[in-house]
Amino acid sequence: MTASATETAAGTGAAPARGSRSRGIRIFKWTLLTPLFSLFFFLMPVFLLQLYFSLHSWTIYLSSWWDADYAGFDLFREVLTESRFYWAFARSFLFAGLSTVGCFIIGFGLALLMYRPFRGHSVFYVLFILPMLTVPIVISYTADMLLFRSGPINDIMSFLAGTEIRFTWLANPNFAIFTIIMLEIWNWTPFAFIIMLAGLSSLPAEPVEAARILGASRLRIFWEIQIPLLRPVIFLALILRFLEAMAEFPKTWGLLQGGPGTSTETIPVYLYIVTWRAFNVSKGAAASYLVMLLMIVIILSAIYVLRREKKALDALYEKPAGGGEA
Amino acid sequence: MKKAHVSRRKFLKGALATAVAAPALLRAGGAKAGPEEDRIVKASKKYGKASLNGMMWALYWRNYPRLNTEFKGLTGISMDQVNDVPNLLIPQRAMAEAISRSGKFDIFHVESMMIPSLVAAGLVEPLDGYMKEAGFKLEMVGNFASFMKYQDVTYALPTDGNVCPQFIRKDLFENPDEQKNFADKHGKPLKWPETWEDELEIMKFFHRPDKELFGFGGLRDKENSSFWYWMYLYSAGGFPFSDDAEPTLTTPAAEYAADTFLARKQVSHPEAAAWGSPQMIPRIVEGKIFSAQYWDGIIARIEGSPTPTTGKWLYGVPPGSKFSGRLIKRAFSAPVMGLIVNKLSPRKKQAAMWSLYMTTAKNSTEVVAHPTMTFHDPWHPVHMTAPEVEKVYGGKAGMESIRKSLLVTTPPPYVTGYQEFKEAVDKNLSEAYAGRKSGKQAIKDAQEEWGKIVKKIGKARIKKEIPYYKAMMPKMDVPT
Amino acid sequence: MNRRTKRRIAAAFRFGFLGASLFAVGFPIYWMIITSFKPDNEWFTWPPIYWSENWTLDNYRVVWLGIQARITAQEAFTMQKPLQALKHSLALALISTTLSVAFGTLIAYGVSRYRILSDRRMFNLLMLRMIPPIVVAAPLTLYYSALNLLDTLTGLVIVYVITTIPYTVWMTKSFIDEIPHEMEQAAEILGASRWQTIWEVIFPLIRSGVVATFLFILILTWSEYLLALILSKVDVVTLPVQLSKYEGTTEGRVYGYQAALAVGVTLPLIVIGCFIRKHLVRGFTFGMVKR
Repeated sequence: MTASATETAAGTGAAPARGSRSRGIRIFKWTLLTPLFSLFFFLMPVFLLQLYFSLHSWTIYLSSWWDADYAGFDLFREVLTESRFYWAFARSFLFAGLSTVGCFIIGFGLALLMYRPFRGHSVFYVLFILPMLTVPIVISYTADMLLFRSGPINDIMSFLAGTEIRFTWLANPNFAIFTIIMLEIWNWTPFAFIIMLAGLSSLPAEPVEAARILGASRLRIFWEIQIPLLRPVIFLALILRFLEAMAEFPKTWGLLQGGPGTSTETIPVYLYIVTWRAFNVSKGAAASYLVMLLMIVIILSAIYVLRREKKALDALYEKPAGGGEA
Repeated sequence: MKKAHVSRRKFLKGALATAVAAPALLRAGGAKAGPEEDRIVKASKKYGKASLNGMMWALYWRNYPRLNTEFKGLTGISMDQVNDVPNLLIPQRAMAEAISRSGKFDIFHVESMMIPSLVAAGLVEPLDGYMKEAGFKLEMVGNFASFMKYQDVTYALPTDGNVCPQFIRKDLFENPDEQKNFADKHGKPLKWPETWEDELEIMKFFHRPDKELFGFGGLRDKENSSFWYWMYLYSAGGFPFSDDAEPTLTTPAAEYAADTFLARKQVSHPEAAAWGSPQMIPRIVEGKIFSAQYWDGIIARIEGSPTPTTGKWLYGVPPGSKFSGRLIKRAFSAPVMGLIVNKLSPRKKQAAMWSLYMTTAKNSTEVVAHPTMTFHDPWHPVHMTAPEVEKVYGGKAGMESIRKSLLVTTPPPYVTGYQEFKEAVDKNLSEAYAGRKSGKQAIKDAQEEWGKIVKKIGKARIKKEIPYYKAMMPKMDVPT
Repeated sequence: MNRRTKRRIAAAFRFGFLGASLFAVGFPIYWMIITSFKPDNEWFTWPPIYWSENWTLDNYRVVWLGIQARITAQEAFTMQKPLQALKHSLALALISTTLSVAFGTLIAYGVSRYRILSDRRMFNLLMLRMIPPIVVAAPLTLYYSALNLLDTLTGLVIVYVITTIPYTVWMTKSFIDEIPHEMEQAAEILGASRWQTIWEVIFPLIRSGVVATFLFILILTWSEYLLALILSKVDVVTLPVQLSKYEGTTEGRVYGYQAALAVGVTLPLIVIGCFIRKHLVRGFTFGMVKR
């Protein structure tokens, strides 16, 4: 991986390299990279161990792990024939998908209302980013305080509706996942909000002005000028949020531990239960491997999109005097 | 510099400890050790001093500091650091300890069902040798001592009986108007329920959700569902394994148990599917629940200090079933907490002695009779008649219900891999309770998952364990 | 006139939406704070108590100092104290953040000026962050126990550095990219060594960016739950893990304690977050979006 990096390295764009100088640069570069490589090598055995466990049937009370029986692909087969695994995936996608969309719509809405400065702007801004700064496990406990049947949320809703509402937010197996999605939206709307706000404020003013002079309606300006210009920012917000939501654990676990039944059991919760509650280490490892592979596929496609959009973004930020790419 | 800091802190600790220990010592009446304690102290002395690390939930630990200080004064052995981990997490932590084999912890305060798995993981020190050495005899009500053994070797010392007697609201149950209405409606008098069917009928009668009164207060969440299920299953004469280590979760008795389990949904709080003890106990104490089988510590919680329902409960033995052709009553004890000693610890001998000292008849009575910390529930025959325990548990009725329930108490599957078996049943039952599948389907799925677990752990191993598991069952059908 | 009403409606709509959002954001936080000051008989009532008449600091005393009305100080001695968790959380967050930012800044400099990582590799670096940590939790425990890193600060510091380094590299790179190359060229002509250039020319220019990165990473490590739950035992306890100890008791729900701990855990993050609010965007988007 390093050979090409060395070859393509262009230096600071200074004078062409002499022998000792280029060696100096090479050493310098390697020095800079050392921490990253050491961390990488430090981490390698973990993945090898994971592979070992997913191919051997082992758990803590079955003798030493190095004596475990070779199981071939049995564990993968076991995981792949388990409907629970697929359901967990479906829930994870539902959770990540809906919460991403929810965060984005609300966050974008807020950003649209706030990108032109008004009095009290900064107060609103600070207040709106608070949820993002709250520790996730704290959110799950606070939600428990708010959402039980005779809790304050139902009380407020009863007050607003003028009739007594005793909605079951947590124990309803069909609704619980949406409760968790709402918490995720509450937690991470600020993320979409600050990104979209930054995107909106960095938009060039000229195209919008020109369109307005030409008599275009606000809606048309929004759809045909602002949205296309914002595309990279939108993609970025959606992709990063989706990936983080796929890995969400503290809120889902802290609030319902995957229940009632298995109705909020997302992939991280499933993996946690299999490995740490049932001590099925090998099965957990096989499932983890599958999840990891799938996540890598998702992340690689996300990265493909991100790279494309990053170029567009850099163009947006390109300033006449700027440094940018070396 | 570091040393100076530590010693200053130690000094402060010591000074404060003396200051607060004085009234505590007075309270215990001078704390004269009995002969059993003397023997343990004598045996301990030859092992020398030790500073122990334990893993125990804070709520349990709070009953021990006085005894700990006392034992330290007598032998120099004391628990100096306690890792505060909730019960639910201790199995996981103990297992992680079995992986790392660090010997960092000397004592784990863990549920006894984990013993087979932890023994297999090579983490647990057998205690019979120490018990013999100190002349300590483990006495527990009925057949209960078998909960602390695995294949006839003692591995744990009990701290908390945790049996579930039946709770019924006295003020409602004995109300003449209610009794008359019930008799009018059902054509028979309102009596203490003998079977699950009787219980359901009565709970239906008292289930008044519009008045915030719910018939049943048992747990139906993902962590606790199986406890109730085993009780229903055993009372129907069922058993989860054949002698050949085949799972038998789809027998008629198992189906009956699943139906009984699910039938209680109609008389439960709508949020019960997501409730554990933290949510359920306030409801019971505040009088929103009519009846339940619940952990006996709640009796002390209700009767020990003024609550909205103090004095308003009847306690007894849970109903049973005539499914097997004769009436069998079963209660359940789980999680039964016990002290286990880490085999890998260099201080295991002292740790064993410490554990013995905390569980003598006299000392355990003090622990169980703590006026405010009610986590330790009675298990020793002496507890059943000790006036100080009786005082905390609100009189004779409560104690009698505990004693009788202990006589017919039953364990969850006492085999290696308990957590895996439990998880499979809990998951499927709670899914059925949430309406995702039928009871029949739930036990069928659980049966299938159990088959895989048995295969993985090894049929031979489970087969060897089953006679011992069976021997833990009560010797009588109905307690007397 | 028509136009004016229209504008008024728009303004009403705007402030209505903002107000509703404000309520949605503020109420849970308000509830957490007020519950932390409520006595135990008000945690769980119907109708709920929105404004307590009986403010108390007991909850804070219990969770932060380990003092409880019902237990004596002696009984509390041997227990782990939340202040210890605070100390560990603080040490862990500061050490791992410092390391992560130091390594990250150097790598970012190399990438920005010497292209030590190609564009593709820079993006692949993001994977370290995006793969859910739960997938390696079990082998990591075993690996750590073999290396005797389980339950040590070092062990947690290493995983935290690994999971935050993509952020630090990307974020600091975005700051370094903004510095014109002429600065270094000038330094080079004046005879400065490469390390001198980094320390004396580049670092002062990106200092505020590095501080922002530092604080941002501090937020991430401070609130991490899963890895701390799995890799810590007795010698190391972090605050989010400490919080989970109040999960269940027979005392019923201990909302007040949870809230008192939660307020303490969250407060520093809110202060830091507001302090670096302008840079949060850059942090969360790996420096791709600037403000």
